[in-house]
Amino acid sequence: MAVDGVDLTIKPGELFSFLGPSGCGKTTLLRMIAGFETPLNGNIYIGDQDIIELPPYKRPVNTIFQNYSLFPHMTVWDNVAFGLKVRKTPLPEIKERVSEMLDLVKMSDQHSKYPDQISGGQKQRVAIARALINKPEVLLLDEPLAALDLKLRQHMLIELMNIHEAVGITFIYVTHDQGEAMSISDRVAVMNRGKIVQEGPPDDIYERPSSIFSAYFIGETNLITGEVIGIEDEYVQLKCPMGDGEFFEIDSTFHFKPEIGSQITVSLRPEKIAISRHKPKVEDDINLVKGVIEDILYLGSHTQYIVTVGNHNIRVFSQHKRVYFDDAALDWEEEVWLFWHDTDSWLINELPDEDRMPAEGKAHFPKFKKHSSVLGDRI
Amino acid sequence: MKSNTNSSKLDYLLAAPTLIWLTVFFLVPYFIVLIYGFLTPDIFDVKFEFNLDAYRQLFEGTYFRPFLLSVKLAITTTLLCILIAYPVAYLIARASDKLKNTLLILIIIPFWTNLIIRIFSWRIFLSYNGVLNDILLKIGLISQPLEIMRTDLAVIMVMVYVYLPYMILPLYSVLEKLDFTLLHAAMDLGATEVKSFFKITLPLSLEGIFAGVLLVFIPSLGTYLIPQLVGDQRSLYVGQVITYKIKNIPRNWPMASALSFGLLILVAIFLLIGYILLRKSKVRGVV
Repeated sequence: MAVDGVDLTIKPGELFSFLGPSGCGKTTLLRMIAGFETPLNGNIYIGDQDIIELPPYKRPVNTIFQNYSLFPHMTVWDNVAFGLKVRKTPLPEIKERVSEMLDLVKMSDQHSKYPDQISGGQKQRVAIARALINKPEVLLLDEPLAALDLKLRQHMLIELMNIHEAVGITFIYVTHDQGEAMSISDRVAVMNRGKIVQEGPPDDIYERPSSIFSAYFIGETNLITGEVIGIEDEYVQLKCPMGDGEFFEIDSTFHFKPEIGSQITVSLRPEKIAISRHKPKVEDDINLVKGVIEDILYLGSHTQYIVTVGNHNIRVFSQHKRVYFDDAALDWEEEVWLFWHDTDSWLINELPDEDRMPAEGKAHFPKFKKHSSVLGDRI
Repeated sequence: MKSNTNSSKLDYLLAAPTLIWLTVFFLVPYFIVLIYGFLTPDIFDVKFEFNLDAYRQLFEGTYFRPFLLSVKLAITTTLLCILIAYPVAYLIARASDKLKNTLLILIIIPFWTNLIIRIFSWRIFLSYNGVLNDILLKIGLISQPLEIMRTDLAVIMVMVYVYLPYMILPLYSVLEKLDFTLLHAAMDLGATEVKSFFKITLPLSLEGIFAGVLLVFIPSLGTYLIPQLVGDQRSLYVGQVITYKIKNIPRNWPMASALSFGLLILVAIFLLIGYILLRKSKVRGVV
């Protein structure tokens, strides 16, 4: 089943994203709203109207298709005018509204060109104008930026937000690109296998993932499992195995009360971890573990270190700020200290399991290594 | 695409056999036909004396009726072929890959049998005591056998049967390439199924229709075999008249040549009209 048990309310004027890996059912969901696919059961309301029985051409929605689907035998002008023409709008009104729309998407000077004579970004604008001219109540966008290159994508993203602001209607945006979804949306629904895994504002989903899937699909994270050995007012204490019968202990704030003795997972974003070759000053709310640098990836704006702590490979993003660190000198096989604040980790009441991982995430799943001798300290 | 002089020389060299073949066996015969039209007829052959009789008769309209019949037949055949072939081609283009191949083979199978044999089987099928009349009598639809053989209807039926694949295949090839999400886009923008067909599918398949029309209309215009074998012998088509001018003694080669040239000019005129219509329809990526 492509989509299962989705129950969701999108607010008027909202920019709402469905985010998920390919095959998660997000496009199917969009096609159901557009009317190209019929759910076995269930309803779709726009306002108070149930649109489930309406054919696509009677629904108050318009779609931006993945490859724009501009009509190749029509000029830009005719493409934009199409919706008005089939509804038999009087010609003077068509002319006025088309030029209004072409102004909005800054394509007025290209109106007599054919789709094969304009660039990808321009096609995108025409597709937007062609959809918005019908004054839909909801605009559906199906991976609208997937066909554009990186710079243009960033540019169009801002432009989409401006257009959303200008027209004020509801946008439903489907993408597999978490960066797009995070930056553009008011709210995001993370989907996996036809179900909505988590729903909320982007920062909520990033900082407070409710499941291992959303933690792993949005951004990157380290997942550390451990046994709950103590619960204080503010934090839980975890005892994490690191192979060869050895353990390290960490603290984490919590938003639900786990039982003592239960197994639980901590999601720890790589950018929340500090790395240093010198043991930092001991503070109360700081977790501290010792590891060995396994790999260094220089990525321009930051460097990614993979640090082995027992059988865990912990990823650390470190920006090149000399005022904080002397990280430039860190080297392969060097012993380092990793430290992070208690409140920077997040508890998830699930255990990692290959099945819950998004396909892209699997490759980074912490490997269990046999050899291990480095001790993690809890201070 | 750029090519340097060396490879373009090679291109000409590779194209040379075809060019020579076409020049010798295509252009030269046409030239002979043109010249024969201006010669004087003899009982078996021609006398090499300049004579304008054949072209005078052609332009005075002596053979107006066979030309009219041929044009009518060609137009009817082409229109019927478009109407029948379009839904078939559409169906094949939208079928699953496996079914697609099976259907295409079914379209091509008739080519495996000789045309004359296929026409003769139509004669058996359509004749007074034939299969069709048998069936119609048995199910009680008619009380007396129909006279279908040797009528214009029989000619049209067989013509459509023979030329249908030539319309289906080019239509299929454009419809197969057609991006069907464009239809979704049209419906999304408020067009009904019927409207999206006429605004999107049809204009984007004009190229295929044009190719099909070329393949069906031109041979239909000069058809000889089918009216000869199943048609009413009181209404002669141009192709038959040309044949009789050469077959029946006294032979009239100049008249046959002039008629052939008339046919050629007629085809050229229709092609020009078709081309202009296609250009006017503003369909891009065509021609």
